[in-house]
Amino acid sequence: MIQNHFQVCAGIRFVLLHVICQDFDRTVKLSDQRIAWILQSSRGRSSMSPPAQPQKSPSPSQPSGKGEVSDLKLQLRQLAGSRAPGTDDAKRELFKKVISYMTVGIDVSSLFSEMVMCSATSDTVLKKMCYLYVGNYAKGNPDLALLTINFLQKDCRDEDPMIRGLALRSLCSLRVANLVEYLVGPMGSGLKDNNGYVRTVATIGVLKLYHISSTTCIDADFPSMLKDLMLNDPDAQVVANCLSALQEIWSLEASTSEEASREREALLSKPVIYYLLNRIKDFSEWAQCLVLDLVVKYIPSDSNEIFDIMNLLEDRLQHANGAVVLATIKVFLHLTLSMTDVHQQVYERIKAPLLTLVSSGSQELSYAVLCHLHLLVMRAPILFSSDYKHFYCQYNEPFYVKKLKLEMLTAVANESNTYEIVTELCEYAANVDVPIARESIRAVGKIALQQYDVNAIVDRLLQFLEMDKDHVTAETLVLVKDLLRKYPQWSHDCIAVVGNISSKNVQEPKAKAALIWMLGEYSQDISDAPYILESLVENWEDEHSAEVRLHLLTAVLKCFLRRPPETQKALGAALAAGLADSHQDVHDRALFYYRLLQYNVNVTERVVDPPKQAVSVFADTQSSEIKDRIFDEFNSLSVVYQKPSYMFTDKEHRGPFEFSEELGSLSVGVESAHNVIPAQRVDANDNDLLLSTSEKEENKGPSSNGSSYNAPVYDGSISLTVSQTQTETPYSSPALPTQASQSTLAIDDLLGLGLPAAPSPVPPPLKLNVRAALDPNTFQRKWGQLPVSLTQECSINPQGIAALTTPQVLIRHMQGHSIHCIASGGQAPNFKFFFFAQKAEEPAGFFLVECVINTSSSKAQIKVKADDQSTSQVFSDLFQSALSKFGKL
Amino acid sequence: MPVAASAIYFLNLRGDVLINRLYRDDVGGNMVDAFRMHIMQTKELGTCPVRQIGGCSFFYMRISNVYIVIVVSSNANVACAFKFVVEAVSLFKSYFGGAFDEDAIRNNFVLIYELLDEIMDFGYPQNLSPEILKLYITQEGVRSPFSSKPADKPVPNATLQVTGAVGWRREGLVYKKNEVFLDIVESVNLLMSSKGSVLRCDVTGKILMKCFLSGMPDLKLGLNDKIGLEKESQLKNRPTKSGKTIELDDVTFHQCVNLTRFNSEKTVSFVPPDGEFELMKYRITEGVNLPFRVLPTIKELGRTRMEVNVKVKSVFGAKMFALGVVIKIPVPKQTAKTSFQVTSGRAKYNASIDCLVWKIRKFPGQTEPTMSAEVELISTMAEKKSWTRPPIQMEFQVPMFTASGLRVRFLKVWEKSGYNTVEWVRYITKAGSYEIRC
Repeated sequence: MIQNHFQVCAGIRFVLLHVICQDFDRTVKLSDQRIAWILQSSRGRSSMSPPAQPQKSPSPSQPSGKGEVSDLKLQLRQLAGSRAPGTDDAKRELFKKVISYMTVGIDVSSLFSEMVMCSATSDTVLKKMCYLYVGNYAKGNPDLALLTINFLQKDCRDEDPMIRGLALRSLCSLRVANLVEYLVGPMGSGLKDNNGYVRTVATIGVLKLYHISSTTCIDADFPSMLKDLMLNDPDAQVVANCLSALQEIWSLEASTSEEASREREALLSKPVIYYLLNRIKDFSEWAQCLVLDLVVKYIPSDSNEIFDIMNLLEDRLQHANGAVVLATIKVFLHLTLSMTDVHQQVYERIKAPLLTLVSSGSQELSYAVLCHLHLLVMRAPILFSSDYKHFYCQYNEPFYVKKLKLEMLTAVANESNTYEIVTELCEYAANVDVPIARESIRAVGKIALQQYDVNAIVDRLLQFLEMDKDHVTAETLVLVKDLLRKYPQWSHDCIAVVGNISSKNVQEPKAKAALIWMLGEYSQDISDAPYILESLVENWEDEHSAEVRLHLLTAVLKCFLRRPPETQKALGAALAAGLADSHQDVHDRALFYYRLLQYNVNVTERVVDPPKQAVSVFADTQSSEIKDRIFDEFNSLSVVYQKPSYMFTDKEHRGPFEFSEELGSLSVGVESAHNVIPAQRVDANDNDLLLSTSEKEENKGPSSNGSSYNAPVYDGSISLTVSQTQTETPYSSPALPTQASQSTLAIDDLLGLGLPAAPSPVPPPLKLNVRAALDPNTFQRKWGQLPVSLTQECSINPQGIAALTTPQVLIRHMQGHSIHCIASGGQAPNFKFFFFAQKAEEPAGFFLVECVINTSSSKAQIKVKADDQSTSQVFSDLFQSALSKFGKL
Repeated sequence: MPVAASAIYFLNLRGDVLINRLYRDDVGGNMVDAFRMHIMQTKELGTCPVRQIGGCSFFYMRISNVYIVIVVSSNANVACAFKFVVEAVSLFKSYFGGAFDEDAIRNNFVLIYELLDEIMDFGYPQNLSPEILKLYITQEGVRSPFSSKPADKPVPNATLQVTGAVGWRREGLVYKKNEVFLDIVESVNLLMSSKGSVLRCDVTGKILMKCFLSGMPDLKLGLNDKIGLEKESQLKNRPTKSGKTIELDDVTFHQCVNLTRFNSEKTVSFVPPDGEFELMKYRITEGVNLPFRVLPTIKELGRTRMEVNVKVKSVFGAKMFALGVVIKIPVPKQTAKTSFQVTSGRAKYNASIDCLVWKIRKFPGQTEPTMSAEVELISTMAEKKSWTRPPIQMEFQVPMFTASGLRVRFLKVWEKSGYNTVEWVRYITKAGSYEIRC
């Protein structure tokens, strides 16, 4: 019943607010209406504040409560002059009533003068209520506020410190610009008051004053008084408030005044930091957070200092307040960033407190902590791989928690725990909760793509297809497609199952597109592929998704190239339907195929259906740079939103005032997880066919995530619109080839003028051949013949070291950079690799590399030999940059 | 919060503002409308407790029938904000006499304003410790008629300044009878696979304390945890006593506990606040004694019948007993008729949660009652889709039992006047999320 009631009211209010949004001028009137409603509801619900007289028809058009207000006015006047015993009690009741009215939204500002008159009393309770009233209405009635200055100033000199403090706070809270002159005096004496409570109020008061009138505040020299207090006051709360105020004032002033920015730096000086750290136990839990947040920015001079600070703060990890624990963790993580070993130890040390925080306390708080845990797990999954059971979902947990947990389970999967994790994920896939089931299937797929125990996982995925639930089938199809692109060797098993799926049961565009792609790609293995495609073409008109239609065009053409006689009819129909299609991309693609076929069928085949190499690495959705930014902002909203703060606080990044903006890139992360690094040119050609138009549009959306990968878009047939293509991969450095040169290449490819070159992730002058091949004997011979052209040593980032458990991990990584491994060996801490790479352009010289990695010192020694000695330095840089990206997620 | 809160709102379930406090002018008054429109009136409610709308972020949580919303305009510290709300709510509760709901708020406007002004100034959290706040709060909470009348309110006396060293305790407390109550409350979380293997199991425990002690007492608590015992035997130079020791994965303490001493001597020593507080929290994953084993067998006999047999074994001492045991066994939505046979307690079908609910009020240790039920289902057309079984869930309380085996070895009280104290210790183990897949 309550639910119904809620919905009805919600409906009304929705309409109302809609009007407000459209027409700001009418807001005032409308909010009056709302007040009337609130009033009604408050009467109906509680016995509080029985009105003196029955309410006269509270019609929405007329602001109500007038009767009561005038009545109150009368009563207040009577009491103002009275000195009879019990007056104070009567006044208290009246004041309470006034404040209740104020709270429910009735305008009682007309009582201002009466209230002020009545407040000439020594009763603290009355005074407090009067301050409340004044604080609420002063801003809207500056003239009336002037009336109160007198008694507030007088109260600031009261002998009771509580009255002094309250009066000062009220005085600062008036927020009326032309009254600031009256503030300076009381504030100055407040800062020097001998009572700690008054000083805490005064310090924050300075900040309030600064926000009302910064010049008055600076001219009165309050900031330097605060600084004095901060370093000398015995009351910890005063110190903390000084710190908050000074941080804010100086950060805001820093843009205009050099002195302020110097002062801001001074807050981070050794004496200040040490002074605060030594008093940390005196501070309240909230103030401790504040201090710890400041300490993060401090740069210690040497490692001894770092250890001193950590020893001092270690017990904070046991604090009952989760916020303090997180703040401490942040200090630890940032202090040790440059010390790999210690950094790892820190991870080990903070694991237990984090897991405790997640499992205790309110759901919201554990979510906040879980987000941070998620960040750390993603940074160093290997360190959490034995704790995977903590990430198992409970049946009743909310979706947002389960989603984070699934992502963590995916990240920590390795050889030893994959079986358990995948078994657990399969439980969730059968869940009644559809979004969770989908997420779980995706998670299984992602683990498969990480190459652990693929065999068993493929079986599991195929079992999903047999579960015969539409959402499971849809999600699985998308994954099977990705799996096939990475492991073509499984095509036989998969196709047998996929071929049995009726396309009528698949409705979701993404899944349908995946199914169609597989039909086209494996048309030679699926006996009735041409006929399935034909029936799909027949229903062209009913297919609403342009993405699916694009895929259908490509699939039919691929099928035609392999099985011409059976597909000819379908191809004709598809091209005709495509040319008549209202969607620009579909139309253009159909036209393009048509002309291509007209020109030469062999060329068509080379463009549309070239032999493919397996995709080696699927792209990450966030660049490591962005991830580092988020890590820098540990213990803030950035971690929850999974994007750096500038993306949600700066206007230009946020775009226009947009309410519907999607929170967090949580969903973006998954959407674009299907994107692929163009590890190979040929494959990238195919990618653009796979990447849906809708995905492209998503990428144009508010997400200014620099890393989101836009596949080359060949949406104009042969026309030169291609020159607008843009390739952004996580590897794109500012020095990447210009767009123009990229697109010429792309056109060359399309037209089949020359071999598909391989401009994969490479700095401008040097491009490596992705498909370089070298047999071991030749390698050995070359290694013997060539002189060492370069010997270098570089360091590997901690994440890389953490990820380097077996040589295979690095080999796969380097392969993504077109650097191939010919031999490897060793065990932790020493690994040895022989790599080779080939230049993509003529002369296609080889580079040979010997790379010895010591994980305990996190150093790599590199020896480079090259056919063409002049390019070995460039290659070495490329190699090191590839190596440095290893382990970054 | 390093970055300050701009406003705090209290809304009822319909989205009406009950009361609010704007701490800063950097958010507009229509922010709450935005919240109402984009979160409360959409399906977004319950999707995520942190949302961004326009330039502002909203942190919200629901406490009974009230939403508390904090609005910030910049990159704030989330954990701090939520912790602040949690603490504030417990503070309000102590003033309202335990209840925190819409009516309590409507009855206490002035008090809430007073509290909100003291606990947060210009968006920065100030002092939330109830002891100190007593000095500044003039209003008395309006309590619901059912809760007991408050004891005599201490006269507000600002001259009674709190010394910096022990910020959580006033001086000059006097009790006729000095008593300490210790409650060890553990909740067991279990996830068991359908094959009976434990997938995940841990215990989160807390030690709650109620102190009625005069003066400034110094307390020391000894537990049978491994590290503490080892340290003790090391210090006293004698071998560790045999007997069960507990390995705590992680511990957090109330701010009154001297953490430096905990780290060096591994003893929990503290000057307690007056009244009730949470002394410590801990988490244990190793060596958990599960109080109950559940052995379900569920057979689907054709399309319209199911047979459910559940045996529950209590594996704690025979002299102990569990209270309020509830076992919920999920059944399909199309359940039509059920019949039960139980050896203990009562069982019935609850259609609103699609579960067979078996309740046993008093469940002695070392027993194994069973329940068998026959479930008849309405046959439906969409038969092909098999029913996925949610896990069996269990609720219980076992007094005088700790799943972790944790025990209080001693609680010593020192005060300079040397009075005698009476200490009371209770143990209780509750079910956290106790799930058994079937």
